[in-house]
This record gives sequence, C-alpha cells and structure tokens, in this order.
Amino acid sequence: MAGNKQVGGLWCFDVLERLSDYVDGELAAAERAQVEAHLKGCDECTKFGGEFGAVVTRLRERLGARADVPADVAKRLDEALAKR
Amino acid sequence: MERARILRFTCMTSVDADAELCRRAAEGDRQAMSALVAAFRGPLYRFARRLTRDDALAEDVLQETFLTALKKVGGWRGEGTCRGWLFSIARTQVLMAQRRRTGEPEGFEEVEPEAELPRLGLEAGWGAAMDPEALASRMEAQAQLEAALATLAPAEREVVALRDLEGLSGEDTAQALGLSLAAMKSRLHRARLALVAAVKRGGGHGG
Repeated sequence: MAGNKQVGGLWCFDVLERLSDYVDGELAAAERAQVEAHLKGCDECTKFGGEFGAVVTRLRERLGARADVPADVAKRLDEALAKR
Repeated sequence: MERARILRFTCMTSVDADAELCRRAAEGDRQAMSALVAAFRGPLYRFARRLTRDDALAEDVLQETFLTALKKVGGWRGEGTCRGWLFSIARTQVLMAQRRRTGEPEGFEEVEPEAELPRLGLEAGWGAAMDPEALASRMEAQAQLEAALATLAPAEREVVALRDLEGLSGEDTAQALGLSLAAMKSRLHRARLALVAAVKRGGGHGG
C-alpha cells in the first residue's frame, strides 16, 4: 500500500482486514458504517475494495455452477450404494 | 465503493430440510437417504473434483462419502448441520484418497504459516489499482479464473470451494474444515487476497 492512513476512525490496514466480512455482509452495522466512512475518504481503499469485490463476485458467478453429476457417475453411485 | 453485490448460492435444499432428511435417515428412512444423495451428490462431486482435479478420484470420493455417511448417519445427533457434516466426510475422503494415490500424507492438513496481511494485500495490488477494464478482461473466461484458483495452496482452495463455489454458510464451512469460525474466516480472507493477486498476474504464478 502506498500509505496506511486513518480515515473515518479506521486505518487502511483495518479496512483491508475487514474486506471479506464487508463483501459477505457480515459486519455489524456500526463497523460497516466505519468502513464506509473510510472508503468515502480513501481513494486507494475504494479502488482496491472494488477490485476485491469484483473478483469474489465473478468467481461465484462463473465457477459456482449448479450442475448435477454426470449421468454415468450418478448411475455408478446408485449401484455402489445398492451393494452395501 | 459501492457495496459489492454477491450472489448468495445455496446448496440444493434448505438447511432445515437437510436436517430433517438427516434426522429421518438416522432413523433408517431409506427414502430420506436417497433424497440426501440426490441433493448432495452434485455439490460433493464438484467439491471433490475441485480438490483432486481428477474425475476418477472424485468419483471414488463421492461413493466413499455416501457409504461412510450411510454407516454413520445412525449416530448423527444434529451437531452442526447436515451439509457441514457431509462435506467434512468428503474432505476426509479426499485426504485419504490422495494419501492412497501418493503413498504420502497430503499436505492439505498442514497449513503453511500464514503470511502477514499487509504483504498479501500488497501482492494483491493494494494501493496499486489496475484499470478496471484490464481487470475485467482477466476474468472474462472461466479458464482464466480456473487457472487463478489452481495457483492457490490446497488449504486455500478448499475454503474458497466451500464458501464461494458451493455457497456454504460460514458456520457450515468452518464445520466441514474442522475450524473455528474465526479461523475459517481468516483463511478465507487470505485465500481471496491470494486469488486477487493471481487474477491480476493473469492466472499463473509467474505470469
């Protein structure tokens, strides 16, 4: 990071530490408000937070497919379970 | 930053419905066990493939997971959730299968010392933002994301697979990994930062 500055009561490092909880919606309201106050006043954290959120979202969208197992795998699974 | 909108994926049934199926399966209800198999064979197979990167091995893991679950379900007392329990069995089966394959303990349980957060942040480009279009272009193809994911350490890949790809809750992910919620969250965050770094590099380690 170029500089660890304090904005909105949090240091850049504090925001970095909370990014996953922030994008997962798991911060308590007061803490979320602090993070958002920091982001409002810190361009670097806003940019990095945007990148972080974009990668997590894209990952979930592209690789989180809901496909079932292939038919032959399902068939062999049923056979294995029937033998027990 | 606009708050990131993350799609919340869930497994194919609700947590309450899973618990009911597990409870009935524990009482010997074969229909309930069949329903559990139908609901979880897809997620468990994907999880096993993601960790083993081997279709045949993943299929063995899938079969062994359900065979083990059938043996043990009678003793299931509702600790944690049913899905967390099933994924924890699958994870053990992956470790056992890899051990059988290599003849050596798989490194997955041995978590590397955690890198300091500021260093991970720097590697992920904290303070050195990319052009948003350039970043988007590095995530356009599924193969690019797969390549980035493949660069993660096994312990990082499994936490991302459970939480982000299979959509397990934080508590279920922690249960499946045998970690406290706090330890799981710490590992997940570091894994995501490593993933951001890999995406920005263009997938590979040296890229």
